[in-house]
Amino acid sequence: MPGWLEVVVRSVVFLIVLFVITKALGKKQMSQLDIFQYITGIVIGSIVAIHVTDYTTNAVHGFLALAVWFLITVTIEYTALKSKRFRNLVQGKGTVLIQNGKIMEDNLKKERFTTDNLLEELRNNKVFNAADVEFAVLEPTGKLNVLPKKEHQPITPKIIGTQVAPEKEPQTVIMDGHALLEPLANASLNTNWLETELDKMNVSIENVFLGQVDSDGQLTVDLYDDKLAVAQPTEKPLLLASMKKCQADLELFALETENQDSKLLYQKNSERMQEAIDKITPYLQ
Amino acid sequence: MTVSSQVKGCFSSIKSAEATLETLAAKTNDQEAEQIFKEVQNTLKTVQLDLENQVLYLTKEEPQYKS
Repeated sequence: MPGWLEVVVRSVVFLIVLFVITKALGKKQMSQLDIFQYITGIVIGSIVAIHVTDYTTNAVHGFLALAVWFLITVTIEYTALKSKRFRNLVQGKGTVLIQNGKIMEDNLKKERFTTDNLLEELRNNKVFNAADVEFAVLEPTGKLNVLPKKEHQPITPKIIGTQVAPEKEPQTVIMDGHALLEPLANASLNTNWLETELDKMNVSIENVFLGQVDSDGQLTVDLYDDKLAVAQPTEKPLLLASMKKCQADLELFALETENQDSKLLYQKNSERMQEAIDKITPYLQ
Repeated sequence: MTVSSQVKGCFSSIKSAEATLETLAAKTNDQEAEQIFKEVQNTLKTVQLDLENQVLYLTKEEPQYKS
């Protein structure tokens, strides 16, 4: 076999082997989460590179080396799964750089982190003032994770004490003008429903680039023709508005009437409406 | 507009809101949301019943405006 042909054949074969090995090692290998993943990634790549370009080497040795590295990695991962101490050894532990708002200078020295390094990593986490940090830990991967002090954390509904409706993941039901049956079934809907909804919006399915359904069964679409305006779902805001109007009407009736019984009745029902509105508002927004 | 017809309008608004709630409860995939929609629908039903009686009472009170 001429040299060039050998290189071509080896390239293809090793590419397939490399693909299979990386698949088998899983997603973790892709992110190179720990020291071991990092080393394995480099070594496996180098083994393949050497045996592909230098056709005087023995390809069988190449496969053998790949197999050994693959097996060692898998064994280590399974052992690490079982034993915490082993895990600490091979994957390393995080180092706390800031605790209780105070920078741990000794730990910085241990990780050979300069003040500039620390500030840079903090800025990566959108923190520009080290005094805003309650806790920061340097992960074994080299990434710094930061817990800002409570007053510097982003506002969540829990902090401001409002109630929000739970939301499930939306389903993508139309892609490139075709209905997708499986996501439709996941949302317990069918193509008839989809056709009706599209008719309501007055668009044909061929014109839809992307269509999604949220957990409340509302369909939103993006069209190929960007000049066409699509009707936004209005059911929920309308419902809330009409409930508010009814409540206000009842209050008005209660003020206007001179009959005591009627007044009481209007007041009671106006309160009921107010309760209902308070209860349902998070779900209609 | 007479009081009676105003109350009647409010009554039908509530009726329509109740129907919308029913469809929303049927459409949602979320158990909790369905529960809330149903609870609010029940509240609206009681309000609707009260108003219905009130409409009858008002028609009796102002028979000249009976429609």
